[in-house]
Amino acid sequence: MIELSIPFLLSAILVMLTVLAVFIVYILFQRSREVRFNKARAVYLQTYSQAWYAFLFQDAEFSIAMIPRGKAQVAAVEEIFSSYLKNVINAEVTNKIQNSANQYLKKFYAKDLTSRFWGVRMNALYRIADFRINELLDEALQFEQKKISKEEYFQLLKIYSILQPEIFLKKIKEARTRYSESEYRRLFILLSDDVFNQMFDDFYNNEQNIQLAIIDTTAVKRNMQFIENLKRLLNDESDEIKIRALKGLYEIGIVDEIDTYIPFVTSNVWEIRLMVAKIFKYAPLTYTYPYLEQLLQDENWWVRSQAAKTIAEEREGVAKLQQFIAHADDQYAIEMVQETIVRKQGNR
Amino acid sequence: MDMPMMSQDVMQEHEVKRYFNILRESVIRSHLTMTVVFLTFANDVQNHAVPEEMSMFLKSKLRKTDLLFQLVDGKHWGIFFLQSSVVEARAFLERIFNILEEEHSNLLVNATITEIRNNDVSFDTLITQNKQLLTKIGQKKWAVEEIIDYQQPPTEHVKVSVIEQNQIFRQVLEVAISQLVIPHFSLEVSTYEDGYSFFQSNNYKSAHIHLIITNDILPRKNGFEILHLLRAMPNGNKFIIYMMSERNSESVAINAYDGGADEFITKPFNLRLLEAKIKRTFERLWL
Repeated sequence: MIELSIPFLLSAILVMLTVLAVFIVYILFQRSREVRFNKARAVYLQTYSQAWYAFLFQDAEFSIAMIPRGKAQVAAVEEIFSSYLKNVINAEVTNKIQNSANQYLKKFYAKDLTSRFWGVRMNALYRIADFRINELLDEALQFEQKKISKEEYFQLLKIYSILQPEIFLKKIKEARTRYSESEYRRLFILLSDDVFNQMFDDFYNNEQNIQLAIIDTTAVKRNMQFIENLKRLLNDESDEIKIRALKGLYEIGIVDEIDTYIPFVTSNVWEIRLMVAKIFKYAPLTYTYPYLEQLLQDENWWVRSQAAKTIAEEREGVAKLQQFIAHADDQYAIEMVQETIVRKQGNR
Repeated sequence: MDMPMMSQDVMQEHEVKRYFNILRESVIRSHLTMTVVFLTFANDVQNHAVPEEMSMFLKSKLRKTDLLFQLVDGKHWGIFFLQSSVVEARAFLERIFNILEEEHSNLLVNATITEIRNNDVSFDTLITQNKQLLTKIGQKKWAVEEIIDYQQPPTEHVKVSVIEQNQIFRQVLEVAISQLVIPHFSLEVSTYEDGYSFFQSNNYKSAHIHLIITNDILPRKNGFEILHLLRAMPNGNKFIIYMMSERNSESVAINAYDGGADEFITKPFNLRLLEAKIKRTFERLWL
């Protein structure tokens, strides 16, 4: 049995109470700091929101009282700028925010980049990108030389893509860190069409994740000028690239000729045949019907279903499908067509 | 003394008076412009068959929504053009004047036009003013004159509710909309941070036209719930609903329009664009 003397127990309790007291004091101190911070931020917002609005939107004079002093006021200005950038498109306002951030917030973020806390550094990187603080580009390049995390490097790439696309194009090829397709897409969607075109020109000098992200980004951007680039990729050896390129072409939704797509009607890959059946939606049925009829009798359910839907979407489509039933032998195709006709008529 | 020649198939002055009072009030309530045209002969007509011929001619040229009537003196005709402005009335007169010149050369006619967009005019005043003007231009032929005293609509009070969680942007919208100058409308702008506080305010319970500018995503009753609840109300059509969204997605926009939104605006957007949309919305209220 363990024997503990009363003086020992009392000493232990005393030590624990002291530790607890220190914790409570620390928590109370932190809490009061947070309250002071929030109050200072709220007071700044209350006092200067209107002045910032007048300065940014109504060409009012800038008052030196609006210059943020201390972290709480910087947080308030960040909130004002972010709210405007997130909700309002106005080139003049964006320029004024950039100039004001260059003048009054730069020193705070330069200091934050040297912080030992990852969160503080990330926040600074986000703000540099959001407010387009180009005067911190040198600091960003120096920051890159340090041992930084994958997330920080990603933010740096984003900053380069916004502030200095040439650096971005160089860095992305260096492939210092690899990212997922979706992460690359998040970067590429921010690029101007000119810079994005340069990425496309250099397509085959990139790793596959980047290549696929480039193709997917065209589908999101839906810009006609990418059609020729995507058509060139249809000659690629990789089926995945062909499928993505067809998907991009489908999303852009403009089919100027169908000859490019005809060889894919007999592709060995069902996903490719499916995409062709989708793309034919944008071409007149007079040209595409023989191929769609072929796809109606495809071995794959998805391809048959899509071919029937594409035909049914045209004005004369349902009549064509009914003609098809009258002559076809393929029971699977007939069932699919009947189902599509019923669905189409049900939607009317 | 000659008895005036009254046409059997055309409504008479005393019959039309009560209709006029109803139509005049619906001009305000439904924002539908009404235009009244008065016609009379420019030459002295002795033949008793001529007024009858004129009545039949006018009747044959009108739309089903137009109302023709003959004044008690038998020499003046009035036409109410519902949902029509002075432009349509002028086009009508030009058309019938051309036909009359070609096919009924015995009929010389003058006309007056009164566009009505408020309820300041009584039937008797309308007739007196137009008859006086027609007498004044009696020496002319194929003349058309306008009375412009009733063209200005009354200033209408409109409620605007901005429902947006971001306090800073909410203020921006409030200031921008409050500073909008829209002819014939005065805007009373209120702001709310979520759908719940909007419904708690009871501001929506009034007969005023109510412009709602709401975000799609909101804490405590989001934009789609607001849309659904307002459109389900018996007087749901008084609400003009603009939905704002950060989601640049066609399916979200389609859902909003299907749910009854009048406009779907993707954020970020240009404030000038929003202001232009609002102005156009109110201009369209008056047909």
